[in-house]
Formats: sequence, C-alpha cells, structure tokens
Amino acid sequence: MEATQATPVKYDMEVVRWFTIAAAIYAVVGTLLGVYIASELAFPFLNFDIPYITFGRLRPLHTNAVIFAFGGCVLMGTGYYMVQRTGATRLWSNGLAWFTFWGWNLIIVLAVITLPLGITQGKEYAELAWPIDILIAVVWLAFGLNHIMTVAIRKTTHIYVSNWFTMGMLVMITYLHVVNSLAIPVSLTKSYSIYSGVQDAMIQWWWGHNAVGFFLTGGFLGIMYYFVPKQANRPIFSYRLSVLHFWALTFGYVWLGAHHLQYTALPDWTGSLGAAVSLAMIIPSWGGAMNGMMTLSGAWDKLRTDYILRFLVVALAFYAMSTFEGPVMSIKTVNALSHYTDWTIGHVHSGALGWVAMVSFGAIYHMVKKLWNTEMYSDSLVNMHFWMATIGTVVYVVAMWVSGIMQGLMWRDYDEYGALTYTFVESVSAMHPYYVMRAIGGAIFHLGTWIALYNIVMTVRQATAARGVNAVPAKA
Amino acid sequence: MDVAAMSANDWVGVFFSLVAFIGMVAVYVMVFRPANKDTFESQRGMALDDENHISMGEKR
Repeated sequence: MEATQATPVKYDMEVVRWFTIAAAIYAVVGTLLGVYIASELAFPFLNFDIPYITFGRLRPLHTNAVIFAFGGCVLMGTGYYMVQRTGATRLWSNGLAWFTFWGWNLIIVLAVITLPLGITQGKEYAELAWPIDILIAVVWLAFGLNHIMTVAIRKTTHIYVSNWFTMGMLVMITYLHVVNSLAIPVSLTKSYSIYSGVQDAMIQWWWGHNAVGFFLTGGFLGIMYYFVPKQANRPIFSYRLSVLHFWALTFGYVWLGAHHLQYTALPDWTGSLGAAVSLAMIIPSWGGAMNGMMTLSGAWDKLRTDYILRFLVVALAFYAMSTFEGPVMSIKTVNALSHYTDWTIGHVHSGALGWVAMVSFGAIYHMVKKLWNTEMYSDSLVNMHFWMATIGTVVYVVAMWVSGIMQGLMWRDYDEYGALTYTFVESVSAMHPYYVMRAIGGAIFHLGTWIALYNIVMTVRQATAARGVNAVPAKA
Repeated sequence: MDVAAMSANDWVGVFFSLVAFIGMVAVYVMVFRPANKDTFESQRGMALDDENHISMGEKR
C-alpha cells in the first residue's frame, strides 16, 4: 500500500462501533424470529390464533431482520471501517454516516411495525410498503455516496478489492431496488407494482436472486477479502484471482434470476440461460473461496487457537458448498425435484447461516477488538459460539435436505394407474420430525448469538472500565 | 435466427450480452497478462499495511 501518512490518520469509527453493536443485537432478534416461525411450522398451535404472529406475517419480518437489519448493519459498519483503513483517510462525511445509521434503524423500526400488521407488497425480500421503499433508496444512496466519495479522497493510489466489492454492491442494489420497487401508490400503505404477469415474476426474481448475489455475496466477499488476511496476518493468496472474482461475479450474477422460475409461464430459454450462467458462476465462486482458504497457506496452525479465524474459514467452506449447490439446483432436472420443497430452504440457510452469519461474526469479533482496543472478554465464549453456530447450521441444513428431497419424491410418486401415491397432507405429516429438527438446529444457532452479544457487551464494558468513563479509545 | 423479428428489447439484450462477454475477455487478458502480474500482486498485503497510520478516535 502507498500510504504516505507521516502522522496517524484520525478515523471516524464511532459510527462503526454503533453499527457493530446494532448488528450483534439484530442477530439475536432476527434468529429468535426464525426459531419461532420454524416452531410454528412444527407446532401450529404457536400461532395462538393471533394474526400478528402468524407465520405469514412473521416470516417476512424474520427475513428483513436477518438480511437487512443484521446483514445491512454488518455491511455498513464494515464498509465504513474498511474504506477508511485501506484508503488511509477519514470518511468523506461523518454526518452522512450517522444519517445512514439512524435512517437504516428507522427503516427497521418501520418494518417491525408494518409487517406484523400485514402491510406488505407481497414481493419476496421486498415486502415493505412504498414509502419505506423510498426511505430505503435515500439511506442506501447516502451510504453509497459517502463510501464512493471516501474512496475518491483516499490517500492511497490503489483501491483495495474489498472496496470494489462494496461499490459493486452499492451500484447494483440501488439499481435492483429501484427497478423492482416501481409501483403505483393508491394509499399510504398500498401500492400496485407497475409490472404484471411474467414480467412481474421475472423482475421479482431478478431482484430476489441479485439481493443474494450482490448484497449477501458481493458485499460479504468484500468483508472476506479484508478480514481473512487481517485475522490470519497473511497477505491474500492471489490478488489477481480476487480481481477476476470481482469482475466475473459482477458481469455474471445479474443473469441468474430466471433459474428461480423453471417450469413456469416464462419462456423456456430464460430458465436455461439462468441455469447455464449459474453453472458458470461455480468457477469464480470456487476461485474466490480457494483464494480465501489458501491465504492460510503455511498458517493453518492458527486455526487451533484463533477462534475468530475459525468463523472466517468455516464461512468460506459454506460459501464454496452453497455456490456449488445453488447451480446444481438450478439445472432443470434437479429443479424439477427440488423446487418448492424444503431443499431450497436448506440451501438458503447454508448460505445465510454458514456463509453470511459466520463471516459476519468473524468480522464483528475482529472489529470489536480493534475498535475498543482490547481483547475479547472471553475467548472460550467465542469458541463456544463458533461450535454452536456450526452445529446449529449443520443440523438445520441436514434437516431441510432430507425433508426437501423426501417432499419432492413424495409429490412426484405415482402408482401403476397414474394416480398420486401420496396426498399433500401425507407429505406435510411426513415433514414433522424434520421441522422439529430444523427448529432445534435454529435454536442452537440462536443461543450462540446470545453468547456473542453477551461477550461483545462485556468486552466493551471491560474496555470502557479500563480507560475510564470519558476516555476516547486511542490506538488499535 | 430471425433478425428481422427482433424487438428493441432483444437488441438491448444483445448489446448488454456482448458488453458482458467482451468485458470478461478484457478482464481475463488484463489479469493474466504476465506483464501485469507484479502490479496486481504487489497489492496482496494492502489489508495488512493499514496498522501504521491508525487512530480510532472520532473526527473532531
């Protein structure tokens, strides 16, 4: 790096601290909602005939909480952290950063109010009512402007690859969110999409898959490319591979959405194109995963003692696994069995719990130590969290794999007269043990987030107590 | 292929397909060109080099 600073740069890290703590809290809230709705599917009496807590209303609240509240806070916090440190400059606007923090949290509060009330656009991962959509666009653009302008005023000549991933996410999510949310409002809480029929479906899944591709993959790959080398204290294995990874994902991911719509009213070729590009994406995805893992070449022994590094490396393993599983599921022959079954839920959570949450917690633990200039309150609790997250994810995903494949096989089975062998209700009944298993896996993962929150809060208290109430953390 | 029957949307799709294809070829050439190897790989340790100019306090 070509940092030319003679004196230390003063960074704007207070907003990063707040995003970090908020992310840890939202991890608890979001996974609690997930465990509850998983339990509702296993034990429907948990609806208690209260409309506000039925599965249909809490499920979008769960997805919004984990993706946008937890994931969004992680992305914004790490985005502001990485862009300052790799650019050797403070934020372009600290005030705008605080606007994004409070604006993003206001959006989350509005989601908590509106979704249980049943106020929704009915578009997956884009349920929030149109005024909130406008607020999302404003806050997101503020984040984007601040990040890109901070890159512009950097003191280094090179833009580190993590910032490229973040900027790619910023541009694409703006584009995707705005186009997918175009609607005609008829009241403050009700609007109609400007798209209809197959166009609506196509736009919805163009958004839906690219929210995964650019928000949950691209953005978190930026985190991986910064925090894996930092935590391992090793340079990235191949910088050229990281550049290729970025551009291949950026050029390729936008074509994949149609693989969600195999065997529908969409023209057949669109699904085939989606599947073909999905398969092609295995190459850069695995290249990136290998790049991250090979960064540990010669330093694998660190995994014995560095529990934070374990989070990051296991995240890469899940990233590799789910970026292979997804393309396989997009192939029409496999999709005929897997689509509409719990296999999809297992796949999504392999990515969400195994990749996104793991890499996030690795980054959060690393940042907490740096931001508060201290050691973790308890390394044993980090280790315990790691194992609970790993075991919880595996139990969850395996339950959904078995359940999903069984569902698909039961639905397509027919007898010698051509009649379906099983009724739909029989397939639902057969799912019960796996739904219980899923709830248990989710609960294990959820309990791990409590441990993380406790450990982080105690670490902050320990650091604050060590310096006195009014002291500003100095150097990290 | 019935070129005459292609709509404006089809041509927009063709345009962006070609942009993506040519862009990817350009990236591969840029990344794997031996002359560029040292330039790229000199940034491998960039994330590790930011410890020397750190002060984590708020902007005053």
